[in-house]
Amino acid sequence: MSYTVDFLFLANYWDALLNGLMTTLGITGLCLVLGLGLGFVVALMRLSQNVVVRSVSTVYVEFFRGTPVLIQLFWIFFCLPLVLGIEIGNFMSAVIALTLYMGAIVSETFRSSLRAIEKDQMDACVALGIGGFTKVIYVILPQAILRAIPTLLSNSVSLFKESALVSAVGMSDLMYIGQNISSITFKPVEMLTAVAVIYFLIAFPLTRSVSLLERKLIHKISL
Amino acid sequence: MTDKAPFIKIRGLKKSYSPEIQVLKGLDLDMYPGDRIVVIGPSGGGKSTLLRCMMGLENIDAGTIEFDSKMYIAGKGVGKMNDINKSVQKQVGMVFQHYTLFPHLTILQNLTLAPIKSRGIPRSEAEDKARGLLKRLGLADKAGAQPSQLSGGQKQRVAIARALMLSPNLMLFDEVTSALDPELVNEVESVMMQLAEQQMPMMIVTHDMWFAKNIATRVVFCAGGVVVEDGTPEQIFTNPKEQRTRDFLEKILHTTESAA
Repeated sequence: MSYTVDFLFLANYWDALLNGLMTTLGITGLCLVLGLGLGFVVALMRLSQNVVVRSVSTVYVEFFRGTPVLIQLFWIFFCLPLVLGIEIGNFMSAVIALTLYMGAIVSETFRSSLRAIEKDQMDACVALGIGGFTKVIYVILPQAILRAIPTLLSNSVSLFKESALVSAVGMSDLMYIGQNISSITFKPVEMLTAVAVIYFLIAFPLTRSVSLLERKLIHKISL
Repeated sequence: MTDKAPFIKIRGLKKSYSPEIQVLKGLDLDMYPGDRIVVIGPSGGGKSTLLRCMMGLENIDAGTIEFDSKMYIAGKGVGKMNDINKSVQKQVGMVFQHYTLFPHLTILQNLTLAPIKSRGIPRSEAEDKARGLLKRLGLADKAGAQPSQLSGGQKQRVAIARALMLSPNLMLFDEVTSALDPELVNEVESVMMQLAEQQMPMMIVTHDMWFAKNIATRVVFCAGGVVVEDGTPEQIFTNPKEQRTRDFLEKILHTTESAA
């Protein structure tokens, strides 16, 4: 059996692929924002003095870092509705799973950047009477974010790639659309290659800019 | 001299970082209005720890610090949180060896963050005051700069200005010129001399004996976690009573001379 490679037919499916890409970017963006918020709070929890707060957050992070995202997604999609007795659609499951995954990953990024903020910044806050909310919002958070940006960008690229898993619960993202078209048209080589290239074209510049940003930001915050 | 009540009264101050390392061993010290105290002594003798305790940065194990006859800090015992009178703490300012500027903020923002966000001073008022201070310290053109663009001497002057923004009634200086290149020391010390001329009460830890002689009204020699000797600069530098003070000064002056 012979297979003729014909990339020209792809032209007929650009619209569909573009729609898939939009879904992928939408889910990635949403889970990125939610995951960043969750991750920062969890990072603060993991540095807390309170044993219960610290343990709960540690168990969460270790569990989500130590299991495949696909299992997490399936569990939320198939098992959570049975446990809770409520409907959770595929979009909701995808958002919950990827947010929890992202939260666990970026909490580690934030945790190390929080630790890198020197103790003398805390001393300065005491000496200036800057405490509580003001300290977190105006002193700690901006420095933690500046330090964390390069790694957060890598984390975001990972999220973007992992988001292909949502096709497994029937979300019509780039992966799902690509897969469907390839089985309808019997053109898996062209279609799956095209999908891979699209993922790459978005992820590659982001990955490259990580090292650039790293140099710039380190210069900015070094005293 | 009728007003003999001490401005700061430290009694039985004890602080240890571990059971084996007791840094302050029941230190007593009085500071009177008009005093500018320079604390000298060997490394590990407790000078910096004393200042850190006075700022409320360390939990003391025992002892009390009174400020203007009001209780400021009271030790509750090893490993326990101190009672700190926050309204007194607001009157104390501190400048550190490593500047501790906020690296993500501009110079102007470094100065105005605490006044605006923690003291509720209107932004325009805080910024006016900040620009005035920067001008006085020769940094008027640096308001919009980032700390990383400044020299060490400039950073340290900004740190002093930042502390002054809160109108402290006592300034603590912890080895503020130790991290500076020698040619930058003078610009920071002259700012401190300006403050001295304005009668700002200060407690200074320094290794610069020439500066100590010039700025101090009193010199306190601190070693082994207690005050060993306390006197005027003339008395301490020319005629120390205690053998330990003499040994220390001989060593220091000797090294300074051989370095020169």
